[in-house]
Amino acid sequence: MTIIPNRSLDDIAETTPALGGNAISRAFSGGSLGRWIGLLLLILLLGFLTIYPLAMLLYGSLHSTPPGMAGEFNLNGYRSIMTTQNLIVLANTVGISLAKTIPSLTIAVFLAWIVARTDTPFRGTLEVLITLPFFIPPILTAMAWGMLANPQVGVINMLWRGMTGAQEPLVNIYSYGGVIWHMCQYSIPFLFLFMVDAFRAMDPSLEESSRMCGASRLMTFRKITLLLMLPVLTSSFMLSFIKGIETFESALFFGLPAGIKVITTDIYESINHRATPDYQYATSLSFAILGLMLLLVVWQWALLRGKSFQTVTGKGFRPNVMELGPWRWVTFAVCVLFFLISVVLPVGQLLLGSFFRFFGFYTYDMLTLEHYKAVFNNSEFWRAMGNTMLLGLLGATATMVLGAVVAYISIRTRWRGRSLIDGMAWLPWMMPGMVLGVGFLWAFAMLPGPLPIYGTIWALLLAYIALGTPVAVRVMTGAYHQLSYDLEECSRVHGASWFQTMWRIMVALAWPAFAVGWVLTFFGIMRELSASILLYSVGSETLAVVLMKLWANGNAEQVSVIGLMMMLLVIVFRWVQLKFIKARLSKL
Amino acid sequence: MASVTLENVSRMYGAVTAVDHVNLKIKSGEFVTLLGPSGCGKTTTLRMVAGLEKNTGGRISIGDNVVSDADKGYFVPSERRRLGMVFQSYAIWPHMTVFDNVAYPLRIRRRPDQEIRDRVMNALRLVEMEQYADRPSPALSGGQQQRVAIARALVFEPEVLLLDEPLSNLDARLRTQMGDDFRALQQRLKITALYVTHDQAEAMALSDRVVVMHGGRILQVGAPEEIYRRPENRQVAAFFGTPNLLDAKVKECRPNGGTHYKLEVEGQGWSGECHAATEMPKGTDVTVMLRPENLHLRQSGEANGGLSWAGEVSQAIFRGSHRSVMVKTEAQTLHVEASSLENVDIGRPVTVAAPAEAAWAVRA
Ligand SMILES: Nc1ncnc2c1ncn2[C@@H]1O[C@H](COP(=O)(O)OP(=O)(O)O)[C@@H](O)[C@H]1O
Ligand SMILES: [Mg+2]
Repeated sequence: MTIIPNRSLDDIAETTPALGGNAISRAFSGGSLGRWIGLLLLILLLGFLTIYPLAMLLYGSLHSTPPGMAGEFNLNGYRSIMTTQNLIVLANTVGISLAKTIPSLTIAVFLAWIVARTDTPFRGTLEVLITLPFFIPPILTAMAWGMLANPQVGVINMLWRGMTGAQEPLVNIYSYGGVIWHMCQYSIPFLFLFMVDAFRAMDPSLEESSRMCGASRLMTFRKITLLLMLPVLTSSFMLSFIKGIETFESALFFGLPAGIKVITTDIYESINHRATPDYQYATSLSFAILGLMLLLVVWQWALLRGKSFQTVTGKGFRPNVMELGPWRWVTFAVCVLFFLISVVLPVGQLLLGSFFRFFGFYTYDMLTLEHYKAVFNNSEFWRAMGNTMLLGLLGATATMVLGAVVAYISIRTRWRGRSLIDGMAWLPWMMPGMVLGVGFLWAFAMLPGPLPIYGTIWALLLAYIALGTPVAVRVMTGAYHQLSYDLEECSRVHGASWFQTMWRIMVALAWPAFAVGWVLTFFGIMRELSASILLYSVGSETLAVVLMKLWANGNAEQVSVIGLMMMLLVIVFRWVQLKFIKARLSKL
Repeated sequence: MASVTLENVSRMYGAVTAVDHVNLKIKSGEFVTLLGPSGCGKTTTLRMVAGLEKNTGGRISIGDNVVSDADKGYFVPSERRRLGMVFQSYAIWPHMTVFDNVAYPLRIRRRPDQEIRDRVMNALRLVEMEQYADRPSPALSGGQQQRVAIARALVFEPEVLLLDEPLSNLDARLRTQMGDDFRALQQRLKITALYVTHDQAEAMALSDRVVVMHGGRILQVGAPEEIYRRPENRQVAAFFGTPNLLDAKVKECRPNGGTHYKLEVEGQGWSGECHAATEMPKGTDVTVMLRPENLHLRQSGEANGGLSWAGEVSQAIFRGSHRSVMVKTEAQTLHVEASSLENVDIGRPVTVAAPAEAAWAVRA
């Protein structure tokens, strides 16, 4: 440690530089200059990651030619998105998101209640199983369901035909229902994770006192439990709805083949599936969707203003667990059923698909290991594997470090610019991956020559960092909130410098949260498809991109093999996380 | 141990003045308590001495060294002030053992291992916690955490020990005992201590001098007994316990030979003698303070010297150690702490009496 700053960050704002040599010499001798430079670099970095692509999105939407080409400025892009067809796309997007949010929320509430508030057996294990689908890349389950519920050769339909002799397929995944069905599988565990702690933390004395006042169980549930949970439910609903508008995979796999378009797939299509990519149209549409997201976010704020989650938290009580009697085996079965449908079925399909010569022909003589051989001999696969690992490790680390710094500045200092930094880091929150991808497409293409990021793996890395930062900031903010200022100040008073305090106290105490966030970000990078598919180029493919390519070529068998590998990675990481990080957390 | 000097120290938060021109000198080895209602600026004052908060005006010195001078823009950061501090929350780091917590100030200063071990064990012995050295710190009770916090604050032999309401998180019985223990330790080691509390009983029991604060300003500084018996104004008087405060007018004023003055005063339906700190001309409006424990109940009409009021009992509450009796008089209802053996019936006519020494007058 060469520079030992002797003043904390908040002093920067408070010290109005007095005239005279004293203040100036102090500014240059102490750590404050270093700190100013650090802050400036941070603002520049955040600006590059969030403001710059946003600005380029606006620029691109007004620009008549693809990125990097001479052209003129006009409003043709906006004119071209004002079509009745796009009204249908908009209705599809909103409708599908609503249609998946309502059942997802209902089921997630039910599952959260089972796990948190009943005496269902093996609740701890059930919780791990129920949340597993959240960590599986949606592209994997999409492909698996594409095979399971394919109207011609899907296992489900083949079994149905075999059992009933019917000619018509039982289910067709290439439909509205299919899109919604697939979205639910990801939404339910996500909502469950979001809500289960609120259920767990609810002070039972609030319910008990209602019973004491003469209210029945049902009345209590309606008047107390539900109302207490309302803020959590509302924010869950909004979050899930917004995420639904941003999703890409479900609509890409099951919507496009059936002619069902949503905004994200429309953007994707106009760049990747047209004879001449229409960048201006895609960019204008991206910018327009941002407007929609902004409206939603504002609505969310308005709904949640003044309602805090604190209402449901309490201390020093044991959550009362409802005794279900024999019904507890029913609730147990419900949880297991969810796990079977959302994990075992798709993973089973991948296993099945990987061992047979052709997808759809499941007979004994078709058994083979050739797909495994093919994948292991496929240099593109190994390159993608290497890329994904590298991006995951670097991206998760960089994102969490950035998140930790931003969160620290925004909640631990009184520096005046902190809300600027916080706001910049939050911006990607309302940008779907697809939109950020388009923004970066322009951003990288418009960079001056000496910065050849476009088309390299660094383009993906920067996009991932931008996409992950809002969550990283949230995780670290939560961690810092739990550490009282006293712990830090006490260290300062007893002789430790700012850096020593950071290292010995803050880092030492906040690392479990950092690790949890790191794993989350890593999973996020592993499953990212929408930005990757716009920003990759030959040599910088990720696993998800390679899967997409193989799928598009009809190679469902190798897709299964690679899917299984990814699944294995997911399980290993999840196991490590549960085994080591949770244990440390509970020790604190 | 060093002295601490605050000269015209102020702290503004935007337009709010949290601390307003505070002047205070704490002698080496002295135990000084900042006392006042919540929000009066005690913590802010303490934190400015600690270097955790910057004073926006004035100058702070520890020993002979200026550590903060707002006018010159000079500020020594917290970690270079050589202080020990006990936080209200104790701020015991949960990821360290008791030993590591106490060793922290020494490790930061890179002392040799042997010295660290000796000094940490010494400090833990002082607070009778040496057998807990290897405990993980979350596994401690409140009282134990408080002891560890004190050991940690003392281990480096700081210039000054700062304490912010260190007893407020303990239950009442433990609070008294820990307070007494700490006072004994402070006197034995001759520690300069600046202590913050809102509890008047705690302040009186522990301190050499008490600083009464209100609205960011110092109202009075003095020994506990001085402040309790001879407050300088009505606010200080009202802050300790629930004294009877009676309005009166000065009839006569003369020196009593000592440092005080003797007054003849007249109130609504009563008159008599009391004492005051300053000379007050005839006709001055004063407030006469009478502590309930110095008032006595007599048979109606019976009075022998001193002050007396005729009235009738309006309420009597048995409190175990004494009986709180409310007596309605022409002037106002008086609160009397009577013996718990005394039998008082509601509505009974009585005379309330007090010796002249118990009556203290301040300007209204
Ligand atoms: N960081 C701050 N920002 C604004 N006002 C503050 C801050 N800290 C303290 N204050 C104000 O300063 C006053 C004194 O606070 P404090 O010193 O904590 O009081 P005490 O410790 O006596 O209860 C209070 O009115 C409080 O609201
Ligand atoms: Mg305070």
